[in-house]
Amino acid sequence: MTTRPARRARLRLCLFLAGLLCGPAATIAATPAVEPDRAAAYAAAFSTAALTPEVQRKWARSCALCHVRGEGGAPRMGDSAAWQPRLAQGDAVLMVNTLEGLERMPPLGYCMDCELGDFAAMIQLMVGRR
Amino acid sequence: MKPLSRREFVAGAALAALAAAPHRLHAAPAATPWRNWSGNLVAHPAGRLAPRDEDELVTMLRRTSGPLRPVGAGHSFSPLVPTDGHLVVLSEFTGLVRTDPQAMTAELMAGTRLSDAGRLLHAAGQAMFNLPDIDRQTLAGAIATSTHGTGVNLKSLSGYVTALRLVTPAGQVLDLSAERDPDTFHAACVSLGALGIVTRITLRNRPPFRLQTRFSVAKTEEIIDCLEACAADYRHFDLMPFLHGDYALVTAQRETDDPAVPTTAADDDAGFIELVKLIDRTPVAERRALINSAVSGMAPGESVDWSFDALTNFRFDRFNEMEYSVPADAGPACLREILQAVASDGIEVAIPLEYRTVAADEAWLSMYHGGPRVAISVHRLAQHDFRPLFTRVEPIFWKYEGRPHWGKVHSLGYDRLSALYPRLGDFVALQESLDPRGRMLNDHLRRMLGK
Repeated sequence: MTTRPARRARLRLCLFLAGLLCGPAATIAATPAVEPDRAAAYAAAFSTAALTPEVQRKWARSCALCHVRGEGGAPRMGDSAAWQPRLAQGDAVLMVNTLEGLERMPPLGYCMDCELGDFAAMIQLMVGRR
Repeated sequence: MKPLSRREFVAGAALAALAAAPHRLHAAPAATPWRNWSGNLVAHPAGRLAPRDEDELVTMLRRTSGPLRPVGAGHSFSPLVPTDGHLVVLSEFTGLVRTDPQAMTAELMAGTRLSDAGRLLHAAGQAMFNLPDIDRQTLAGAIATSTHGTGVNLKSLSGYVTALRLVTPAGQVLDLSAERDPDTFHAACVSLGALGIVTRITLRNRPPFRLQTRFSVAKTEEIIDCLEACAADYRHFDLMPFLHGDYALVTAQRETDDPAVPTTAADDDAGFIELVKLIDRTPVAERRALINSAVSGMAPGESVDWSFDALTNFRFDRFNEMEYSVPADAGPACLREILQAVASDGIEVAIPLEYRTVAADEAWLSMYHGGPRVAISVHRLAQHDFRPLFTRVEPIFWKYEGRPHWGKVHSLGYDRLSALYPRLGDFVALQESLDPRGRMLNDHLRRMLGK
Protein backbone atom coordinates (compact mmCIF):
# COMPACT_ATOMS: atom_id res chain seq x y z
CA MET A 1 0.00 0.00 0.00
CA THR A 2 1.35 3.38 -0.94
CA THR A 3 1.07 6.52 1.13
CA ARG A 4 3.76 8.51 -0.59
CA PRO A 5 1.08 10.99 -1.61
CA ALA A 6 1.01 12.21 1.94
CA ARG A 7 3.25 15.27 1.81
CA ARG A 8 3.49 17.99 4.38
CA ALA A 9 1.49 20.53 2.40
CA ARG A 10 -1.55 18.32 2.22
CA LEU A 11 -1.31 16.99 5.74
CA ARG A 12 -2.17 20.09 7.67
CA LEU A 13 -5.91 19.65 7.32
CA CYS A 14 -5.81 16.00 8.38
CA LEU A 15 -3.66 16.68 11.41
CA PHE A 16 -5.87 19.57 12.39
CA LEU A 17 -8.99 17.41 12.11
CA ALA A 18 -7.42 14.54 14.01
CA GLY A 19 -6.31 16.80 16.83
CA LEU A 20 -9.57 18.70 16.96
CA LEU A 21 -11.91 15.74 16.99
CA CYS A 22 -9.99 13.06 18.81
CA GLY A 23 -7.36 14.56 21.05
CA PRO A 24 -3.95 12.99 21.46
CA ALA A 25 -3.64 9.30 20.64
CA ALA A 26 -2.36 6.93 23.31
CA THR A 27 1.32 6.14 22.80
CA ILE A 28 1.96 3.40 25.36
CA ALA A 29 -0.36 0.40 25.40
CA ALA A 30 -1.87 -0.81 28.66
CA THR A 31 0.23 -3.35 30.51
CA PRO A 32 -0.79 -6.85 29.44
CA ALA A 33 -0.79 -9.74 31.86
CA VAL A 34 1.93 -12.32 31.25
CA GLU A 35 1.28 -15.91 32.24
CA PRO A 36 3.66 -17.14 35.01
CA ASP A 37 5.33 -19.83 32.92
CA ARG A 38 6.05 -17.40 30.12
CA ALA A 39 7.32 -14.80 32.57
CA ALA A 40 9.69 -17.38 34.05
CA ALA A 41 11.04 -18.29 30.62
CA TYR A 42 11.59 -14.63 29.79
CA ALA A 43 13.28 -13.93 33.14
CA ALA A 44 15.67 -16.79 32.47
CA ALA A 45 16.44 -15.35 29.05
CA PHE A 46 17.23 -11.93 30.53
CA SER A 47 19.39 -13.41 33.29
CA THR A 48 21.66 -15.23 30.83
CA ALA A 49 21.54 -12.78 27.92
CA ALA A 50 24.91 -12.01 26.40
CA LEU A 51 25.68 -9.31 23.87
CA THR A 52 27.90 -11.38 21.61
CA PRO A 53 29.18 -10.15 18.23
CA GLU A 54 26.56 -12.40 16.62
CA VAL A 55 23.77 -10.73 18.61
CA GLN A 56 25.16 -7.32 17.66
CA ARG A 57 24.98 -8.31 13.98
CA LYS A 58 21.39 -9.44 14.44
CA TRP A 59 20.56 -6.15 16.14
CA ALA A 60 22.14 -4.15 13.31
CA ARG A 61 19.98 -5.81 10.66
CA SER A 62 16.68 -5.80 12.57
CA CYS A 63 16.05 -3.48 15.57
CA ALA A 64 18.37 -0.84 14.14
CA LEU A 65 16.12 -0.43 11.09
CA CYS A 66 13.75 1.67 13.20
CA HIS A 67 15.27 2.23 16.66
CA VAL A 68 18.27 4.25 15.51
CA ARG A 69 16.31 6.98 13.68
CA GLY A 70 13.06 6.54 15.59
CA GLU A 71 11.08 5.54 12.52
CA GLY A 72 7.37 4.94 12.96
CA GLY A 73 7.47 6.38 16.46
CA ALA A 74 9.97 3.78 17.71
CA PRO A 75 11.83 4.84 20.88
CA ARG A 76 15.42 5.61 19.94
CA MET A 77 18.25 3.54 21.29
CA GLY A 78 19.57 5.13 24.49
CA ASP A 79 16.70 7.66 24.80
CA SER A 80 16.09 7.04 28.48
CA ALA A 81 13.05 9.32 28.68
CA ALA A 82 11.34 7.44 25.87
CA TRP A 83 12.17 4.04 27.35
CA GLN A 84 11.27 4.84 30.95
CA PRO A 85 7.48 4.20 30.73
CA ARG A 86 8.17 1.00 28.80
CA LEU A 87 10.73 -0.19 31.36
CA ALA A 88 8.22 0.47 34.10
CA GLN A 89 6.03 -2.27 32.66
CA GLY A 90 8.74 -4.85 33.35
CA ASP A 91 11.02 -7.09 31.32
CA ALA A 92 8.33 -9.67 30.64
CA VAL A 93 6.09 -7.12 28.97
CA LEU A 94 8.98 -5.81 26.90
CA MET A 95 9.56 -9.38 25.71
CA VAL A 96 5.87 -9.98 24.96
CA ASN A 97 5.76 -6.77 22.93
CA THR A 98 8.85 -7.86 21.04
CA LEU A 99 7.47 -11.30 20.24
CA GLU A 100 3.93 -10.20 19.41
CA GLY A 101 4.51 -6.70 18.04
CA LEU A 102 3.27 -3.37 19.34
CA GLU A 103 1.64 -0.61 17.33
CA ARG A 104 3.87 -0.20 14.25
CA MET A 105 6.59 -2.59 15.44
CA PRO A 106 6.08 -5.99 13.83
CA PRO A 107 6.36 -9.21 15.83
CA LEU A 108 10.00 -10.23 16.28
CA GLY A 109 11.13 -6.76 15.17
CA TYR A 110 12.18 -8.19 11.79
CA CYS A 111 14.64 -10.65 13.36
CA MET A 112 13.54 -14.00 12.00
CA ASP A 113 16.49 -15.97 13.39
CA CYS A 114 16.45 -14.53 16.92
CA GLU A 115 15.71 -16.66 19.95
CA LEU A 116 14.60 -15.43 23.38
CA GLY A 117 18.17 -14.88 24.58
CA ASP A 118 18.97 -12.77 21.54
CA PHE A 119 15.91 -10.58 22.10
CA ALA A 120 16.77 -10.18 25.78
CA ALA A 121 20.29 -9.01 24.97
CA MET A 122 19.07 -6.61 22.29
CA ILE A 123 16.43 -5.12 24.59
CA GLN A 124 19.08 -4.56 27.27
CA LEU A 125 21.28 -2.87 24.69
CA MET A 126 18.56 -0.49 23.54
CA VAL A 127 17.30 0.53 26.96
CA GLY A 128 20.84 1.35 28.06
CA ARG A 129 21.55 -1.51 30.45
CA ARG A 130 24.72 -2.36 28.51
CA MET B 1 -29.01 -12.71 4.40
CA LYS B 2 -28.67 -14.86 1.31
CA PRO B 3 -27.40 -18.43 1.74
CA LEU B 4 -23.74 -19.06 1.02
CA SER B 5 -22.71 -21.11 -1.97
CA ARG B 6 -20.41 -24.04 -1.27
CA ARG B 7 -17.45 -22.08 -2.61
CA GLU B 8 -18.27 -19.09 -0.43
CA PHE B 9 -18.64 -21.36 2.60
CA VAL B 10 -15.25 -22.97 2.03
CA ALA B 11 -13.73 -19.54 1.44
CA GLY B 12 -15.20 -18.28 4.68
CA ALA B 13 -13.77 -21.23 6.57
CA ALA B 14 -10.32 -20.61 5.09
CA LEU B 15 -10.40 -16.93 6.03
CA ALA B 16 -11.65 -17.80 9.51
CA ALA B 17 -8.65 -20.06 10.00
CA LEU B 18 -6.32 -17.20 9.07
CA ALA B 19 -8.07 -14.75 11.36
CA ALA B 20 -8.12 -17.16 14.31
CA ALA B 21 -4.53 -18.36 14.14
CA PRO B 22 -2.91 -16.00 16.71
CA HIS B 23 -4.73 -17.63 19.61
CA ARG B 24 -2.44 -20.64 19.25
CA LEU B 25 0.45 -18.61 20.61
CA HIS B 26 -0.27 -19.58 24.18
CA ALA B 27 0.00 -23.29 23.41
CA ALA B 28 3.80 -23.34 23.66
CA PRO B 29 4.87 -20.66 26.11
CA ALA B 30 8.53 -21.58 26.37
CA ALA B 31 9.33 -21.60 22.66
CA THR B 32 10.29 -18.61 20.55
CA PRO B 33 7.31 -18.41 18.21
CA TRP B 34 7.24 -17.01 14.71
CA ARG B 35 4.69 -14.40 13.70
CA ASN B 36 4.22 -12.49 10.49
CA TRP B 37 4.27 -8.69 10.17
CA SER B 38 0.57 -8.13 10.79
CA GLY B 39 0.34 -10.78 13.51
CA ASN B 40 -2.45 -12.82 11.88
CA LEU B 41 -0.18 -15.86 11.55
CA VAL B 42 1.78 -17.69 14.22
CA ALA B 43 3.89 -20.82 14.19
CA HIS B 44 6.02 -22.77 16.60
CA PRO B 45 8.87 -24.06 14.44
CA ALA B 46 11.08 -26.82 15.75
CA GLY B 47 14.02 -24.54 15.10
CA ARG B 48 15.60 -21.93 12.90
CA LEU B 49 18.38 -22.60 10.41
CA ALA B 50 20.47 -19.52 9.68
CA PRO B 51 23.37 -20.72 7.53
CA ARG B 52 26.37 -18.43 7.14
CA ASP B 53 26.96 -19.31 3.50
CA GLU B 54 25.85 -21.62 0.71
CA ASP B 55 28.19 -24.44 1.77
CA GLU B 56 26.68 -24.44 5.25
CA LEU B 57 23.17 -24.31 3.76
CA VAL B 58 23.91 -27.37 1.60
CA THR B 59 25.27 -29.21 4.63
CA MET B 60 22.21 -28.31 6.71
CA LEU B 61 19.81 -29.46 4.00
CA ARG B 62 21.64 -32.77 3.59
CA ARG B 63 21.86 -33.47 7.33
CA THR B 64 18.22 -32.71 8.15
CA SER B 65 15.15 -34.55 6.98
CA GLY B 66 12.06 -32.74 8.28
CA PRO B 67 9.89 -29.97 6.85
CA LEU B 68 11.54 -26.68 5.85
CA ARG B 69 10.09 -23.28 5.08
CA PRO B 70 12.13 -20.26 4.00
CA VAL B 71 11.22 -16.93 5.59
CA GLY B 72 12.09 -13.43 4.43
CA ALA B 73 10.80 -10.41 6.32
CA GLY B 74 7.47 -12.02 7.24
CA HIS B 75 5.36 -9.59 5.21
CA SER B 76 3.06 -12.24 3.71
CA PHE B 77 -0.46 -12.35 5.09
CA SER B 78 -1.12 -15.81 3.62
CA PRO B 79 0.32 -18.80 5.53
CA LEU B 80 3.25 -19.50 3.24
CA VAL B 81 5.72 -19.63 6.13
CA PRO B 82 4.17 -21.42 9.14
CA THR B 83 5.71 -24.84 9.82
CA ASP B 84 6.35 -27.13 12.74
CA GLY B 85 9.63 -28.04 11.06
CA HIS B 86 12.53 -25.64 10.58
CA LEU B 87 12.48 -22.09 9.30
CA VAL B 88 15.33 -21.26 6.94
CA VAL B 89 16.48 -17.68 7.49
CA LEU B 90 18.79 -16.00 4.98
CA SER B 91 19.79 -13.10 7.20
CA GLU B 92 23.49 -13.74 6.45
CA PHE B 93 22.86 -13.83 2.70
CA THR B 94 22.94 -10.10 2.07
CA GLY B 95 24.74 -7.65 -0.17
CA LEU B 96 25.77 -7.00 -3.73
CA VAL B 97 27.85 -9.80 -5.26
CA ARG B 98 28.77 -8.36 -8.65
CA THR B 99 27.57 -6.01 -11.36
CA ASP B 100 27.87 -6.08 -15.13
CA PRO B 101 27.85 -2.44 -16.33
CA GLN B 102 27.51 -3.43 -20.00
CA ALA B 103 24.56 -5.76 -19.51
CA MET B 104 23.28 -3.47 -16.72
CA THR B 105 22.69 -6.43 -14.43
CA ALA B 106 23.55 -7.03 -10.80
CA GLU B 107 23.72 -10.16 -8.68
CA LEU B 108 22.47 -9.73 -5.12
CA MET B 109 22.32 -12.17 -2.25
CA ALA B 110 18.72 -13.26 -1.83
CA GLY B 111 18.32 -12.12 1.79
CA THR B 112 19.10 -8.49 0.93
CA ARG B 113 16.32 -6.15 2.01
CA LEU B 114 14.88 -3.94 -0.73
CA SER B 115 15.77 -0.90 1.39
CA ASP B 116 19.43 -1.91 1.16
CA ALA B 117 19.30 -3.04 -2.47
CA GLY B 118 18.32 0.42 -3.70
CA ARG B 119 21.32 2.11 -2.11
CA LEU B 120 23.77 -0.66 -3.01
CA LEU B 121 22.71 -0.53 -6.65
CA HIS B 122 22.76 3.28 -6.70
CA ALA B 123 26.37 3.29 -5.54
CA ALA B 124 27.15 0.84 -8.33
CA GLY B 125 25.48 3.02 -10.99
CA GLN B 126 22.29 1.01 -11.33
CA ALA B 127 18.66 1.17 -10.25
CA MET B 128 15.82 -1.33 -10.24
CA PHE B 129 13.13 -0.58 -12.82
CA ASN B 130 10.40 -0.65 -10.21
CA LEU B 131 9.85 -1.31 -6.51
CA PRO B 132 6.96 -2.11 -4.22
CA ASP B 133 6.14 0.35 -1.45
CA ILE B 134 7.31 -1.74 1.51
CA ASP B 135 11.09 -1.78 1.50
CA ARG B 136 11.65 -4.06 4.50
CA GLN B 137 10.98 -7.12 2.37
CA THR B 138 13.83 -9.34 1.28
CA LEU B 139 14.55 -9.76 -2.40
CA ALA B 140 13.91 -13.52 -2.18
CA GLY B 141 10.56 -13.04 -0.45
CA ALA B 142 9.50 -10.39 -2.93
CA ILE B 143 10.19 -12.43 -6.04
CA ALA B 144 8.83 -15.65 -4.50
CA THR B 145 5.40 -13.99 -4.31
CA SER B 146 5.49 -11.90 -7.51
CA THR B 147 5.59 -8.69 -5.50
CA HIS B 148 5.07 -5.59 -7.65
CA GLY B 149 4.82 -1.83 -7.80
CA THR B 150 2.75 0.08 -10.32
CA GLY B 151 3.30 1.17 -13.92
CA VAL B 152 1.61 0.30 -17.20
CA ASN B 153 4.94 -0.64 -18.77
CA LEU B 154 6.59 -2.07 -15.65
CA LYS B 155 6.64 -5.70 -14.57
CA SER B 156 6.59 -7.28 -11.15
CA LEU B 157 10.02 -7.75 -9.58
CA SER B 158 10.07 -11.35 -10.84
CA GLY B 159 9.93 -10.03 -14.41
CA TYR B 160 13.39 -8.45 -14.06
CA VAL B 161 15.17 -11.57 -12.81
CA THR B 162 17.70 -12.82 -15.37
CA ALA B 163 19.31 -15.58 -13.30
CA LEU B 164 19.12 -17.12 -9.87
CA ARG B 165 20.73 -19.81 -7.77
CA LEU B 166 18.45 -22.44 -6.25
CA VAL B 167 19.58 -24.96 -3.64
CA THR B 168 17.20 -27.92 -3.75
CA PRO B 169 16.01 -29.72 -0.59
CA ALA B 170 18.51 -32.46 -1.39
CA GLY B 171 21.33 -29.92 -1.36
CA GLN B 172 21.85 -29.72 -5.12
CA VAL B 173 22.95 -26.27 -6.34
CA LEU B 174 21.24 -25.13 -9.57
CA ASP B 175 22.29 -22.00 -11.46
CA LEU B 176 19.24 -21.08 -13.51
CA SER B 177 18.52 -18.67 -16.33
CA ALA B 178 16.17 -18.42 -19.29
CA GLU B 179 18.96 -19.80 -21.49
CA ARG B 180 20.27 -22.55 -19.20
CA ASP B 181 17.07 -24.22 -17.97
CA PRO B 182 14.05 -22.13 -19.01
CA ASP B 183 11.35 -24.26 -17.38
CA THR B 184 12.95 -24.44 -13.95
CA PHE B 185 13.97 -20.79 -14.23
CA HIS B 186 10.48 -19.53 -15.03
CA ALA B 187 9.08 -21.66 -12.22
CA ALA B 188 11.70 -20.43 -9.74
CA CYS B 189 11.04 -16.76 -10.54
CA VAL B 190 7.80 -17.06 -8.52
CA SER B 191 8.42 -20.17 -6.45
CA LEU B 192 6.39 -19.59 -3.24
CA GLY B 193 9.50 -21.00 -1.57
CA ALA B 194 8.35 -24.48 -2.63
CA LEU B 195 11.23 -25.54 -4.87
CA GLY B 196 14.14 -25.07 -2.49
CA ILE B 197 16.13 -22.14 -1.15
CA VAL B 198 16.96 -19.28 -3.54
CA THR B 199 20.32 -17.85 -2.46
CA ARG B 200 21.31 -15.39 -5.23
CA ILE B 201 19.29 -13.32 -7.67
CA THR B 202 20.51 -11.45 -10.75
CA LEU B 203 18.37 -8.48 -11.80
CA ARG B 204 18.22 -6.54 -15.04
CA ASN B 205 18.51 -2.90 -14.04
CA ARG B 206 18.88 0.56 -15.57
CA PRO B 207 20.91 3.69 -14.78
CA PRO B 208 19.84 5.60 -11.65
CA PHE B 209 16.93 8.00 -12.11
CA ARG B 210 14.84 10.48 -10.17
CA LEU B 211 11.07 10.65 -10.01
CA GLN B 212 8.82 13.65 -9.69
CA THR B 213 5.89 12.63 -7.50
CA ARG B 214 2.65 14.55 -7.85
CA PHE B 215 -0.08 14.03 -5.32
CA SER B 216 -3.63 15.14 -5.93
CA VAL B 217 -7.19 14.40 -4.90
CA ALA B 218 -9.91 13.45 -7.38
CA LYS B 219 -13.54 12.47 -7.36
CA THR B 220 -13.43 8.70 -7.53
CA GLU B 221 -16.08 8.42 -10.25
CA GLU B 222 -14.29 10.94 -12.45
CA ILE B 223 -10.88 9.33 -12.12
CA ILE B 224 -12.26 5.85 -12.82
CA ASP B 225 -13.62 7.17 -16.11
CA CYS B 226 -10.10 8.10 -17.22
CA LEU B 227 -8.14 5.36 -15.49
CA GLU B 228 -6.61 3.77 -18.55
CA ALA B 229 -5.53 7.06 -20.11
CA CYS B 230 -4.37 8.54 -16.79
CA ALA B 231 -2.30 5.49 -15.91
CA ALA B 232 -0.69 5.46 -19.36
CA ASP B 233 0.28 9.11 -18.98
CA TYR B 234 2.73 8.47 -16.15
CA ARG B 235 5.58 6.07 -15.38
CA HIS B 236 3.80 5.13 -12.14
CA PHE B 237 0.16 5.73 -11.30
CA ASP B 238 -1.43 4.75 -8.00
CA LEU B 239 -5.06 5.30 -7.08
CA MET B 240 -6.41 5.02 -3.53
CA PRO B 241 -10.20 5.40 -3.46
CA PHE B 242 -11.76 5.82 -0.04
CA LEU B 243 -14.54 3.40 0.73
CA HIS B 244 -17.54 5.19 2.26
CA GLY B 245 -16.34 8.37 0.55
CA ASP B 246 -16.45 10.01 -2.86
CA TYR B 247 -12.77 10.92 -3.21
CA ALA B 248 -9.53 9.16 -4.04
CA LEU B 249 -5.87 9.94 -3.49
CA VAL B 250 -3.86 9.96 -6.71
CA THR B 251 -0.10 9.53 -6.86
CA ALA B 252 1.40 10.05 -10.32
CA GLN B 253 5.13 9.85 -10.97
CA ARG B 254 7.30 10.82 -13.93
CA GLU B 255 11.03 10.57 -14.51
CA THR B 256 12.77 13.92 -14.10
CA ASP B 257 16.20 15.54 -14.27
CA ASP B 258 15.27 18.01 -11.53
CA PRO B 259 17.39 17.82 -8.38
CA ALA B 260 16.11 15.72 -5.48
CA VAL B 261 14.19 17.57 -2.77
CA PRO B 262 14.86 15.73 0.50
CA THR B 263 11.84 14.51 2.42
CA THR B 264 11.37 12.70 5.70
CA ALA B 265 9.24 9.62 5.21
CA ALA B 266 8.08 9.47 8.83
CA ASP B 267 6.70 13.01 8.62
CA ASP B 268 5.21 12.42 5.18
CA ASP B 269 2.95 9.60 6.26
CA ALA B 270 1.83 10.99 9.62
CA GLY B 271 -1.22 12.91 8.39
CA PHE B 272 -2.52 10.02 6.31
CA ILE B 273 -2.20 7.64 9.24
CA GLU B 274 -4.05 10.05 11.53
CA LEU B 275 -6.81 10.43 8.96
CA VAL B 276 -7.26 6.66 8.68
CA LYS B 277 -7.43 6.35 12.47
CA LEU B 278 -10.00 9.12 12.61
CA ILE B 279 -12.12 7.39 9.97
CA ASP B 280 -11.75 4.13 11.90
CA ARG B 281 -13.17 5.76 15.03
CA THR B 282 -16.10 7.31 13.17
CA PRO B 283 -19.39 5.38 12.72
CA VAL B 284 -19.77 4.08 9.17
CA ALA B 285 -22.90 6.14 8.58
CA GLU B 286 -20.99 9.34 9.36
CA ARG B 287 -17.86 8.59 7.38
CA ARG B 288 -18.87 9.92 3.97
CA ALA B 289 -19.27 13.46 5.28
CA LEU B 290 -15.98 13.25 7.18
CA ILE B 291 -14.01 11.78 4.28
CA ASN B 292 -15.44 14.11 1.70
CA SER B 293 -14.69 17.13 3.86
CA ALA B 294 -11.18 16.09 4.90
CA VAL B 295 -9.95 14.61 1.64
CA SER B 296 -11.38 17.20 -0.75
CA GLY B 297 -9.58 19.85 1.27
CA MET B 298 -6.15 18.30 0.87
CA ALA B 299 -3.72 20.50 -0.98
CA PRO B 300 -1.84 18.98 -3.91
CA GLY B 301 1.81 18.21 -3.32
CA GLU B 302 4.97 17.54 -5.26
CA SER B 303 8.41 16.14 -4.53
CA VAL B 304 11.50 14.81 -6.30
CA ASP B 305 13.48 11.83 -5.04
CA TRP B 306 15.79 9.14 -6.33
CA SER B 307 13.65 6.24 -7.50
CA PHE B 308 14.36 3.96 -4.56
CA ASP B 309 13.26 6.66 -2.13
CA ALA B 310 10.28 7.85 -4.18
CA LEU B 311 8.82 4.37 -4.63
CA THR B 312 9.36 2.86 -1.17
CA ASN B 313 9.88 3.83 2.48
CA PHE B 314 6.36 3.00 3.50
CA ARG B 315 5.63 3.28 7.25
CA PHE B 316 2.10 2.53 8.35
CA ASP B 317 0.21 0.88 11.16
CA ARG B 318 -0.04 -2.86 10.71
CA PHE B 319 -2.90 -4.19 8.63
CA ASN B 320 -4.09 -7.32 6.85
CA GLU B 321 -4.58 -7.29 3.12
CA MET B 322 -6.38 -9.11 0.32
CA GLU B 323 -5.27 -8.42 -3.24
CA TYR B 324 -6.37 -9.86 -6.53
CA SER B 325 -5.22 -8.92 -10.02
CA VAL B 326 -7.83 -8.80 -12.75
CA PRO B 327 -7.38 -8.37 -16.52
CA ALA B 328 -6.55 -4.72 -17.20
CA ASP B 329 -9.74 -4.00 -19.13
CA ALA B 330 -11.87 -5.39 -16.28
CA GLY B 331 -10.26 -3.20 -13.63
CA PRO B 332 -12.65 -0.22 -13.62
CA ALA B 333 -15.78 -2.41 -13.46
CA CYS B 334 -14.33 -4.55 -10.66
CA LEU B 335 -13.32 -1.45 -8.70
CA ARG B 336 -16.79 0.08 -9.06
CA GLU B 337 -18.48 -3.11 -7.90
CA ILE B 338 -16.31 -3.33 -4.77
CA LEU B 339 -16.96 0.31 -3.88
CA GLN B 340 -20.69 -0.17 -4.34
CA ALA B 341 -20.88 -3.46 -2.40
CA VAL B 342 -18.95 -2.17 0.61
CA ALA B 343 -20.97 1.04 0.72
CA SER B 344 -24.37 -0.60 0.31
CA ASP B 345 -23.62 -3.25 2.94
CA GLY B 346 -22.12 -0.72 5.35
CA ILE B 347 -19.02 -2.85 5.89
CA GLU B 348 -16.40 -1.55 8.32
CA VAL B 349 -13.19 -0.40 6.62
CA ALA B 350 -11.06 2.72 7.07
CA ILE B 351 -8.04 2.26 4.78
CA PRO B 352 -8.63 3.15 1.12
CA LEU B 353 -8.50 0.60 -1.65
CA GLU B 354 -5.42 0.60 -3.85
CA TYR B 355 -5.45 0.24 -7.64
CA ARG B 356 -2.22 -0.40 -9.53
CA THR B 357 -1.30 -1.44 -13.07
CA VAL B 358 1.33 -4.09 -13.82
CA ALA B 359 2.77 -5.33 -17.13
CA ALA B 360 2.95 -8.98 -18.16
CA ASP B 361 5.87 -11.31 -17.42
CA GLU B 362 6.77 -14.93 -18.10
CA ALA B 363 7.08 -16.47 -14.65
CA TRP B 364 4.77 -19.49 -14.45
CA LEU B 365 3.01 -18.45 -11.25
CA SER B 366 3.19 -14.70 -11.73
CA MET B 367 -0.17 -12.98 -11.29
CA TYR B 368 0.83 -11.19 -14.50
CA HIS B 369 1.63 -14.26 -16.58
CA GLY B 370 0.01 -13.93 -19.98
CA GLY B 371 -1.04 -10.31 -20.02
CA PRO B 372 -1.22 -6.95 -18.23
CA ARG B 373 -3.44 -6.74 -15.18
CA VAL B 374 -4.48 -4.37 -12.49
CA ALA B 375 -4.01 -5.20 -8.84
CA ILE B 376 -6.80 -4.15 -6.50
CA SER B 377 -5.98 -4.29 -2.78
CA VAL B 378 -8.30 -4.24 0.21
CA HIS B 379 -6.90 -3.51 3.69
CA ARG B 380 -8.16 -3.82 7.24
CA LEU B 381 -6.26 -2.49 10.27
CA ALA B 382 -4.64 -5.42 12.07
CA GLN B 383 -6.56 -4.95 15.31
CA HIS B 384 -9.86 -5.60 13.52
CA ASP B 385 -11.42 -8.80 12.17
CA PHE B 386 -10.88 -8.75 8.41
CA ARG B 387 -13.38 -11.49 7.61
CA PRO B 388 -16.56 -9.42 7.05
CA LEU B 389 -14.74 -7.25 4.51
CA PHE B 390 -12.69 -9.93 2.76
CA THR B 391 -15.52 -12.47 2.49
CA ARG B 392 -17.73 -9.82 0.90
CA VAL B 393 -15.10 -8.65 -1.58
CA GLU B 394 -13.43 -11.92 -2.62
CA PRO B 395 -16.36 -13.26 -4.69
CA ILE B 396 -16.37 -9.99 -6.63
CA PHE B 397 -12.76 -10.64 -7.66
CA TRP B 398 -13.77 -14.15 -8.80
CA LYS B 399 -16.38 -12.67 -11.14
CA TYR B 400 -13.60 -10.82 -12.98
CA GLU B 401 -11.21 -13.79 -13.29
CA GLY B 402 -9.11 -12.41 -10.47
CA ARG B 403 -5.86 -14.10 -9.50
CA PRO B 404 -4.96 -13.86 -5.80
CA HIS B 405 -1.66 -12.35 -4.71
CA TRP B 406 0.28 -15.31 -3.30
CA GLY B 407 1.42 -13.39 -0.24
CA LYS B 408 -1.96 -11.94 0.70
CA VAL B 409 -5.13 -13.35 2.23
CA HIS B 410 -7.19 -15.54 -0.09
CA SER B 411 -9.17 -18.74 0.20
CA LEU B 412 -8.47 -20.58 -3.04
CA GLY B 413 -7.25 -24.17 -3.40
CA TYR B 414 -5.81 -26.12 -6.30
CA ASP B 415 -9.00 -26.59 -8.37
CA ARG B 416 -9.72 -22.90 -8.62
CA LEU B 417 -6.08 -21.84 -8.85
CA SER B 418 -5.29 -24.26 -11.69
CA ALA B 419 -7.99 -22.59 -13.79
CA LEU B 420 -6.44 -19.18 -13.14
CA TYR B 421 -2.76 -20.12 -13.49
CA PRO B 422 -2.31 -22.21 -16.66
CA ARG B 423 1.16 -23.42 -15.64
CA LEU B 424 0.22 -24.49 -12.11
CA GLY B 425 0.12 -28.18 -13.11
CA ASP B 426 3.61 -27.89 -14.60
CA PHE B 427 4.79 -26.19 -11.42
CA VAL B 428 3.41 -29.03 -9.30
CA ALA B 429 5.20 -31.62 -11.45
CA LEU B 430 8.47 -29.71 -11.17
CA GLN B 431 8.03 -29.29 -7.43
CA GLU B 432 7.60 -33.05 -7.04
CA SER B 433 10.73 -33.73 -9.08
CA LEU B 434 12.87 -31.30 -7.04
CA ASP B 435 11.31 -32.17 -3.68
CA PRO B 436 9.95 -35.74 -3.90
CA ARG B 437 9.51 -35.97 -0.12
CA GLY B 438 7.59 -32.70 0.08
CA ARG B 439 9.96 -31.12 2.60
CA MET B 440 9.28 -27.62 1.31
CA LEU B 441 5.50 -27.86 1.78
CA ASN B 442 3.19 -26.85 4.59
CA ASP B 443 -0.59 -27.29 4.85
CA HIS B 444 -1.31 -24.10 2.90
CA LEU B 445 0.98 -25.06 0.02
CA ARG B 446 -0.38 -28.61 -0.09
CA ARG B 447 -3.87 -27.19 -0.42
CA MET B 448 -2.86 -24.80 -3.19
CA LEU B 449 -0.82 -27.41 -5.04
CA GLY B 450 -3.48 -30.12 -4.83
CA LYS B 451 -1.69 -32.54 -2.50
